[in-house]
Amino acid sequence: MQRTLHGHGGSGVELSKIARRIGLAAAILALALTGCSSKKPPGAGEGAPGSNPGGLGQEGMGGAGGSSLSQFQKGQLGRGEQGPLSDIHFEYNDYTVRQQDSEILHSNADWLQRNPTRRVQIEGHCDERGSEEYNIALGAKRAQAAKEYLQTLGIAGDRMSTISYGKELPLCTERTEDCWAENRRDHFAVTE
Amino acid sequence: MCSEAIMLKIRAAVMVAMLIGAVPARTLAQGNLPGKLPPIQITGAGRLYPIAVSGLKDLSGDGAHNVSRVFDTTLTRDLELSSFFRIIDSQAYIEDPQTSGYDIGQFNFADWRSINAEFLVKGAVTHQADKVMVEALLFDVGEQRRMMGKRFTGEPNEVSEMARRFADAVLEAVTGKRGPFDTKLAFVSTRGGRFKEVYTSWLDGGMLFRLTDNPTINLFPSFDRSAQHLLYLSYKGLSPALYLVDLGQQVETPIAPPLGMAVGGTLTPDGQIVGAFARGGHTNLYLLDQSGNPIRTLTDSSGINVSPSVCRNGRELAFTSDRSGNPQIYVMKMAGGQARRLTYQGDYNTAPAFSPDCKKIAYERRSAGIMNIFVANLDGSAAHQLTDEGSNEWPAWSPDGRYIAFSSTRGGDSRIYLMLAADGRVIAPLTEGEGNATNPSWSWWLGS
Repeated sequence: MQRTLHGHGGSGVELSKIARRIGLAAAILALALTGCSSKKPPGAGEGAPGSNPGGLGQEGMGGAGGSSLSQFQKGQLGRGEQGPLSDIHFEYNDYTVRQQDSEILHSNADWLQRNPTRRVQIEGHCDERGSEEYNIALGAKRAQAAKEYLQTLGIAGDRMSTISYGKELPLCTERTEDCWAENRRDHFAVTE
Repeated sequence: MCSEAIMLKIRAAVMVAMLIGAVPARTLAQGNLPGKLPPIQITGAGRLYPIAVSGLKDLSGDGAHNVSRVFDTTLTRDLELSSFFRIIDSQAYIEDPQTSGYDIGQFNFADWRSINAEFLVKGAVTHQADKVMVEALLFDVGEQRRMMGKRFTGEPNEVSEMARRFADAVLEAVTGKRGPFDTKLAFVSTRGGRFKEVYTSWLDGGMLFRLTDNPTINLFPSFDRSAQHLLYLSYKGLSPALYLVDLGQQVETPIAPPLGMAVGGTLTPDGQIVGAFARGGHTNLYLLDQSGNPIRTLTDSSGINVSPSVCRNGRELAFTSDRSGNPQIYVMKMAGGQARRLTYQGDYNTAPAFSPDCKKIAYERRSAGIMNIFVANLDGSAAHQLTDEGSNEWPAWSPDGRYIAFSSTRGGDSRIYLMLAADGRVIAPLTEGEGNATNPSWSWWLGS
């Protein structure tokens, strides 16, 4: 976990520093505008919850390509090495595996059969339409659909984890049907 | 906190007649409306009451002008945001607050009637050691009487909070219902980078504070009734999880029950948690205690159950479910039982939010690719559209029920805006600057 957050060339850390400065500047500006000061200066995250990346224990995303979140942190989402497994795509507000994607899932299953020590995290993603929370739930359905499909092809369930990023990590940000179709996807991040 | 010493005088009779005499709120303009609008309850008056905010008289004679400036600026901003008042430009004021008196009999009402002020705020500030004492009074100029007065004692940096409380009291004296400004706003913003972080500020924009600081994704802040706790969802642990922040102590607790992947959640008024968790592709709602221990399963259906909103009475739950085939709003008792479907129009209704009196639900509907805010009664009747410009999401009611904060792309980037709940009139943006602001949450009153 620490590795992914802070270990990849530090771009995330650097951005965080900049963001912290901007946040602090905004806080100072807000203070100046209202003419009041706080007993505890808002150190913009100082001692704040965010400095403690707690929560769930998670294995690092060390594989080629890595998780979409780590790619996003590096500013490289959807670019560069995408790993050995291919994405599948979905219809709008739907989570059933499309006929034309079954070949991709068979190919992904073959790779996992040939690499029995590797594990995969299946990421569900959505297009920008709709609310954030509903889309996280929809992405969970999409990830689960691929997991169950791969299980029917003989991949053990305990080699696969699922996560949903909802509409938070789009590959494409234009407001077009093509772009939305590209974003409605399952990404397969090989983890170890 | 400012200590509020005494209320100088019991507020006079409410000016009901003025409200009744107000012109009808304008109906929503063109387009997208489902037929004729139902009758609108008038809250924000069509006519703005002219009010003068005279400076505070400095009784210590040691240059408390800064206190007066902060108090007047904050009070003016809040009264303008209320959309009940028009502030008369101080250039027009005849008397000098430093040379005239501030209580009844010590100044000339004619000086204020001549500039058409119907209401007048005057007051005084005294420094005592490192404390500041502010006395603020509201006058009815036409009737030449004092309507209300308050005295506040606190630190110099608490003057703006005194002004917010006084603004709430002015609204109560004039309209019969307390104003909503002694409250906090929480929201998500990408200001300062690509990452969504949670911020808090006073409702009127003061004291912007960045609560989260991690280069991931942070979403869905919600306050409990005391505004001492805030729940949010974060990907900082790589998997999405809920975190409960103690805002006073600046510490937080991960909320990680063995129920699957966190999808979202909200705080109940008394600080319990309704969380949405996905397992096996199905997302359901659960009631959890403040440590994250499951208390009760609230929904148990295949499919998606998200976006919980708990009414202030703690007894009703609204949420979004796809059990009918697409996202629709449902209402059920927190104690359990059958969920009742609220929305039947449109194929994408979500983000329900209970009004503070638990009688209405605001929500967003997607139609022709854009979201708009609607309000309906708890039985689904009298549904009407409030917004019609840009894409509008995530309604959050003010504690007095008169206003709704929401996010909108009407100005380009997404910002948080304030509108009147009764008729959807947009008053002002509440956030400014770079980045996209989304997911507003409006706290209960901070002071008693």
